[in-house]
Amino acid sequence: MMATGVDTAATVFDAWLAGVTEGLSGAGLDWLDAERGAARARVRSAGVPGTKQEAWRYTGLKPLLEHEFTQLTEDITALDPEDVEDLLVPGLDAHRVVLANGRLVPSLSWVEGLPAGVRAGGLRTMLEAEPEVLRGRLGRVAGDGAHVFAALNTAGMDDGFVLLVDALTRLDRPIEIIHLSLGMDEPRLAQPRHLVDLGEGASATLIERYVSLGESLYCTNSVLELSLGDRASLSHYRVQEESPRAFHLAGVYLSQAAASRYHGVNVGLGAAWSRTDLVAGFVGEGAECILDGLYLAGDGQTMDFHLDVRHEIPGCTSREGFKGILYGKGRAVFDGRITVARDAQKTDAQLSNRNLLLSRGAEVDTKPQLEILADDVKCSHGTTVGQLDPGSLFYLRSRGIPLPQARRMLCVGFAEEVLDALAPEPLRDFVSARVGVRLEQASLD
Amino acid sequence: MLSVKGLKAMVGEKQILKGLDLEVGPGEVHAIMGPNGSGKSTLAHVLAGREGYEVSAGTVHFQGEDLLALEPEERVHRGIFLAFQYPVELPGVNNTYFLKAALNAIRTARGEPELDAVAFMRLMKEKLKVLHLDDSLLKRPVNYGFSGGEKKRNEIFQMALLEPKLAILDETDSGLDIDALRIVADGVNTLRSPKRSMIVVTHYQRLLEYIQPDYVHVLARGRIIRSGGKDLALELEDKGYGWIAEEEAA
Repeated sequence: MMATGVDTAATVFDAWLAGVTEGLSGAGLDWLDAERGAARARVRSAGVPGTKQEAWRYTGLKPLLEHEFTQLTEDITALDPEDVEDLLVPGLDAHRVVLANGRLVPSLSWVEGLPAGVRAGGLRTMLEAEPEVLRGRLGRVAGDGAHVFAALNTAGMDDGFVLLVDALTRLDRPIEIIHLSLGMDEPRLAQPRHLVDLGEGASATLIERYVSLGESLYCTNSVLELSLGDRASLSHYRVQEESPRAFHLAGVYLSQAAASRYHGVNVGLGAAWSRTDLVAGFVGEGAECILDGLYLAGDGQTMDFHLDVRHEIPGCTSREGFKGILYGKGRAVFDGRITVARDAQKTDAQLSNRNLLLSRGAEVDTKPQLEILADDVKCSHGTTVGQLDPGSLFYLRSRGIPLPQARRMLCVGFAEEVLDALAPEPLRDFVSARVGVRLEQASLD
Repeated sequence: MLSVKGLKAMVGEKQILKGLDLEVGPGEVHAIMGPNGSGKSTLAHVLAGREGYEVSAGTVHFQGEDLLALEPEERVHRGIFLAFQYPVELPGVNNTYFLKAALNAIRTARGEPELDAVAFMRLMKEKLKVLHLDDSLLKRPVNYGFSGGEKKRNEIFQMALLEPKLAILDETDSGLDIDALRIVADGVNTLRSPKRSMIVVTHYQRLLEYIQPDYVHVLARGRIIRSGGKDLALELEDKGYGWIAEEEAA
């Protein structure tokens, strides 16, 4: 029996943060110190979530807590452009920001040439140069209600990327954030903290990629706060390709004003253990939120997506479409929650989660949850868990295509619907190829 | 070329083919006709190697080789092609990509080099021209959202591309209006050659007005009960299938 959650949290997570107390960026700013202090107190009082808690029922934290991760506040200076060359998406035209173990690497980041009305840069830099801009913004969307790992991120937030776009400003080139993890002697905790704030009618495309050099053990615990003004539009593509030994925790917190549009595409491919929380809320009518996703999990992988879409305002639309491919002994958890408040009439919410189970050892726990208190709404959900269609396999084989290749083609076809939503073509081709490589490695014979 | 002897096959617990004999020589076109449930489609599927069809007796040899011992894709590599009655929709699988994968799988199995993208496109254009088809179907997912006629045309196009030695057309005429039927039949006729045999499975004589068979076989209750020239099809058209039961009873 484990010690009580609260005691464990105090000892475990305090140890994780032991090294950062002094060196965090913006230390000494009253409001920031207070925010971090409150977050640390929340971590302690919340405790380590156990599998008795509904939100953690299918994904225990035990594998994570077996390691002593430590967050450090030091820059990775020994990185050259050649080190990251192989990690880039060929042909992708984007502003690029590279973070190494949670710290922005200025020598590898290019965000010049942005249109007027756009402020973009490192969180650390901004906290040093103009902290007042961030006051009241950091933590506003993620809030106090967020779970213990978001609080842990706030307690240790140090660096990340900030994008502030003025009203009616369009960012035509995507901004790509590359989270790079490098193996160190000790298991490291990286806690990037990002903030994106689009003003009224502004639009942007954000690409987030999680990659590693080598196959080391580390833990990423990122938080991204997204705030969309009236009629603002954000396309957001996340591609998680962490090291096969890594732990990946991510929280995306979204707030949408009237008639704004968000389209998120989440692709989960890497890490040994990952948990992604996507939390969306509306503060104005007529907004649209689309959350698409694709996850692959094979031997030694647990992949967990928790979606939480809160309709508290009338007349908003949400679409959740996630697909999973599980093979070997891969495990996935999909939890899609939609709540519609009493006043949120004319809500249009749909959720679908489809899974392909390619082996006996693979497993998926899928749980759609609709809680609807309004009476004039259009809501639906559907989840499926199935195998490849024998008729489709036979059709491919009857054209001379060998069985393993036929299986792969159908899997790629299954994934393609999600990948088609990756608008920049070079990114789509790149991710599609990465999916292909994983299916190639997965023994589908 | 194809030699079927005493073939018995079951689907589940049900005996469908009950001792079928069929000899198809090079370049010959054989029509297999018969009422619903007589075993026409079962024969087509057994020859193509579909799972769920259990052969309980008999032999099938193709160019001297035991066909039943081969996997479905291996049969294709030897030169067999089945045009489906109901072509399968594959959303997410691009038609061009699919065709290239099929052709190159066959080439690889035969020890021939794969075609690169340029050579493949050239070949596709050539085949489209021969069949008087446009390339609109090639950019879409395989059969996905195709009309009945488009699906059948896609089957014939695949046949043209894969150049089989023995093509089995399983009720290719079903669900087609007269214009679509003519297009498909024209395609088939274009692909007739002394080196290519065909088995045309059909319920109606209609298709045989466009594709003239060398031989017609009547399949009933799992056996071929009559064989003849193309006149047999006309006789069937006049008399229907009712006489078969009477003749059997007699």
